[in-house]
Amino acid sequence: MAAVNLNTIRSTIEGRLATELALAPVIPVVFHNQPSTPTPNSSFVQCLVSFGNNNFLTMGGTTGSSNSVIGVIVMNVFTPKGVGPGANLTIGKRIRDLYNRQVVSGVHFDPPTGPEVVASPAPEGYFQTQVRLTFETFEDL
Amino acid sequence: MAFYRGQQGSVKFDDAGSSAAAITSTRSWSLTVEKESLDTTALGATYRANVGGLISGSGTCEILYTASSADETNAFIEHVNTANDEGLALFELFLDTTGTKKISFDGVITSAEYSATVGEIEVITLNFVTNGDITLGI
Repeated sequence: MAAVNLNTIRSTIEGRLATELALAPVIPVVFHNQPSTPTPNSSFVQCLVSFGNNNFLTMGGTTGSSNSVIGVIVMNVFTPKGVGPGANLTIGKRIRDLYNRQVVSGVHFDPPTGPEVVASPAPEGYFQTQVRLTFETFEDL
Repeated sequence: MAFYRGQQGSVKFDDAGSSAAAITSTRSWSLTVEKESLDTTALGATYRANVGGLISGSGTCEILYTASSADETNAFIEHVNTANDEGLALFELFLDTTGTKKISFDGVITSAEYSATVGEIEVITLNFVTNGDITLGI
């Protein structure tokens, strides 16, 4: 029993996506705080993991107790502009299926929201959608 | 002045009634101790008179389901299903983490609600009544 290792959770989440998008057709993926220069007219995914609310789950002090650790994953899917949404939604489905209701290494993934079209893509010059989902894991002290 | 928050509480239980063990994953507990009042108003009196009568207690405990087995937590959540329950199970309800402030009594678990709701942690709600003395060590 120990406090959660946030990097272990992050690794579980990001590793799952990196492994999936390394399969054919390969889609480059970039994570928080990584330098990246996208290639024009190509597809890529940006994955942003953030930790949010932590809540009491059970009674107890700093040992023999449990907390809930909740976070959100935002994945931006960028595909070439002017060729319709099909390619983008194909990637969105791969991402959605990857996390939908899954429980991996103690991380519970909720049903994803999206892919939602982003009206003002950033960076510009792409068709962008966003897949978001919350996750929860349990900290046993 | 010292105040306490709910997470400082805890519950111990022993179905055999001897040595209580900690119940893991307890989310909450509550106990209501009631005393009956007996009307002793004299005929013709202006004001009603009462004296205390029998004392009893009843309460609730919420446990998060963890699939524990062969321990008191498991015994606790299954104890409602005990045949010929003589009410000898020992309950200890703590108000602080040091384990010195507690309410203890023998009791009977009268109902258990096992529930599962989509997207939420599974919770078991146990209701109990006291049997005999209630010791308030608080």
